[in-house]
Amino acid sequence: MVLKYIGRSFKRGCIQLVRRPMYFLLIVIMPLLCCWFLMDLIKPGSVQRVPVGIVDLDNSIMSRQVSRTLGGFQQVNITRRYNNFAEARDAVQRGEVYGFFLIPDNLEEHALGGRQPVVSYYVNYAYYAPASMQYKGFKTMSLLANGAIVQTALRTVGVPNEKIAAALQPYQTHVHMPGNPFINYNYYLNSTFVPCFLSLFILLVTAFSLGMELKSGLSSQWLKTSGNSMFLALIGKLVPQTVLFTAVGWFIQWMMYRCYDFPLNCNPWNMLIAMFLLVVANQSFAVLMYCFVPNFRYGTMLCTLLGMVSFSFAGFSLPQEAMYPWVEALGFVVPIKYYFLIMVDQALNGIDLYYSRFYYAALIGFTILPMLLSWRLKKECLNPVYVP
Amino acid sequence: MTEKIRHSRFFLWFIQVLRVCGRELLLVFRDSGVVIFFLLLNAAYPVLYALIYNPEVVRDEPVVVVDDNRTAMSRDLIRRMDATQEVAIKGYAANMEEARDAMFRKDCYGIIYVPRDFAQCIERGEQGHVSLYCDMSVMMRYKALFTALTNVTQAMGGDRLAATVEPVLNMSGSIIESRQVPIGNSAMGIASAVLLFILPLVLQQSMILGIAMLHGGSIERRRRNCGRDPMAIEAGVGATILGKMMCHQIIYVIPVIYVLHYVPLMFGFPQNGNILQVMCLAVPFIIAVSLMGQTLQAFVNERESVFLLFVFSSVVFVFLTGASWPRYLMSPLWWVVGDCVPATWMSNAYVLMQSDGATLAQVSHHYLMMWIQVPVMFVLAYMVERFVNRRRYRSWIAASESNPSALTRIDLAKNGVG
Repeated sequence: MVLKYIGRSFKRGCIQLVRRPMYFLLIVIMPLLCCWFLMDLIKPGSVQRVPVGIVDLDNSIMSRQVSRTLGGFQQVNITRRYNNFAEARDAVQRGEVYGFFLIPDNLEEHALGGRQPVVSYYVNYAYYAPASMQYKGFKTMSLLANGAIVQTALRTVGVPNEKIAAALQPYQTHVHMPGNPFINYNYYLNSTFVPCFLSLFILLVTAFSLGMELKSGLSSQWLKTSGNSMFLALIGKLVPQTVLFTAVGWFIQWMMYRCYDFPLNCNPWNMLIAMFLLVVANQSFAVLMYCFVPNFRYGTMLCTLLGMVSFSFAGFSLPQEAMYPWVEALGFVVPIKYYFLIMVDQALNGIDLYYSRFYYAALIGFTILPMLLSWRLKKECLNPVYVP
Repeated sequence: MTEKIRHSRFFLWFIQVLRVCGRELLLVFRDSGVVIFFLLLNAAYPVLYALIYNPEVVRDEPVVVVDDNRTAMSRDLIRRMDATQEVAIKGYAANMEEARDAMFRKDCYGIIYVPRDFAQCIERGEQGHVSLYCDMSVMMRYKALFTALTNVTQAMGGDRLAATVEPVLNMSGSIIESRQVPIGNSAMGIASAVLLFILPLVLQQSMILGIAMLHGGSIERRRRNCGRDPMAIEAGVGATILGKMMCHQIIYVIPVIYVLHYVPLMFGFPQNGNILQVMCLAVPFIIAVSLMGQTLQAFVNERESVFLLFVFSSVVFVFLTGASWPRYLMSPLWWVVGDCVPATWMSNAYVLMQSDGATLAQVSHHYLMMWIQVPVMFVLAYMVERFVNRRRYRSWIAASESNPSALTRIDLAKNGVG
């Protein structure tokens, strides 16, 4: 009997899926397109060759040497030379360059005379990523310029070479970046943003397909096909979507970890299972929202809002410990947060599964939650009210 | 004379535009869904975003130390690290195993390792080594830890350099001083950088969503009424588009001022732009967006499908503006796609004005590009209205004449009945 109901409900779900091309568009085409968009956009991996300007007021041998060395740096690309500060500032305001390096007049004279000239670098922090890169380049440059002079001076008074290196840089730092040693922006951003995109689509599609039943007034018929069981009705409706979304999710993972070589330091199954759980958890999350607000417009809006905001409060860009506590807490409300934590633990850091146990459990927990509240949705389905 | 004007074709056309505008206003304010998009979304969303990013910078990132050296010098290094804005020393671990476990449990996000011969090497006049292991899941964490360690070791190195150099060269060793001057966003915070890009985008997306939802409502009315919309004003294609555009302009006066002027004011984001010039910049932007919305509305068949079709595009548009990945590194394809979106020009011009204090003349290129978008978008909207929408309505009317229930039956079939 149950099998018969499941079959009928399942058939209905499949028919709905097939008859609206929009579903195909949003389950398969758009997630893949967005995935390709992000990966293709950030293909270079790290911000390099930031267009900057240089203002050389000194025009001495030393200042030209400085600007030549700076031109050889990978971080910055000197696209323009400006005659004075005002010109360079104007170029920044026009958006032609992201910053500039200012060499004061009498650089050489003051440097050789021991009067400590000051070189300044003006970095436009309105553009965050290029600014950080410029800072790195400019800072290294100014240290090198200083080092070169001191080195020459020390050599002239007869200090041995090995001592000079130690004197110039007594503390050598080694920064280890496990999982992402190239500081690849593509690895970092897309291993979280792409699944977040997918979960946004899952939330939207689930919310829409539930809402359409309420809107069309066919929800009581939907329940009847599955023998008046909300659970079976949901299974029939959502399982076809789960299958498609999981397939798309796995395809995306295959692209990330095999085509683009994202770090995958764990058993691939750990991530595949996490993706499947992410799909189911997001579907359940959308159902749960409908249980809270059994209304097409507000249910969908809630899903949309949380799906969109989760890009920010899941802590992909601003780390969670830096956020306000209430924002940090909100992050733990959405499933993508747990997928993110699993991804960090498993794929990026490759640590023991033991440390991620709670995150897997949380994703499973999302799946169970709507079952407790489904009576509210059922009540609404029996007497659907559509508020435009 | 007045008679002549009253009967002139232009006057009649203009009256049509005004009637469409008036009807559109009525439809907007009768539809709470659209009001939510046009007004509530603009009021709440920027505030929500600003609150999320308001901490601006990473402070006191927890770090664990493994100190195998245990000398005054290594303790000095750790103390100085703890004193930085970016790092807070959470504690000492006996060995790397213990520290790694703390990192895996997310009790800390970085490990500083000081090897056994750290101080001895330096005292011998060799280089001393110190290692930092950094959690790479979030770039801002890495940046904070890296900056803190670099600054501390350089400061300590400077002291030692002076001590070595002073006796031989009679100077401190720092010959050329250098300083960074952050311009634009002088707090160097993430909110001040990213939010200014997002604000114009909120305006664009809310308007597109609202326009598409209005259109979805109209389509639904047509489906119920044999292909005719009882609420629509019969008017020419151009008059319909311009009338609607006029309506959107009127409604958006308040959201534009609120979002572009008052939100930065509330959260203390850079506000170096002249408000009048910012508003001038917004004029072509809002016109272009309204026309873009009227082009894109062709994809909408129900009120609610706007959520599915347009919401996710916000994220794509954010990336296209160059807020997180700079535009000069984009491939020509994405560069051109970005150029077609009004928000790309608006966001960049707005950021340059508000952060860097650019004048309208300095962002004239962006301004001009938005004005160029206006006629292009108008032609697109015109073609869509004339050759897609109107043709579709005519075919619906024709279909309903032969069979009045044809349209509702299609609807039912889509929902899995029959």
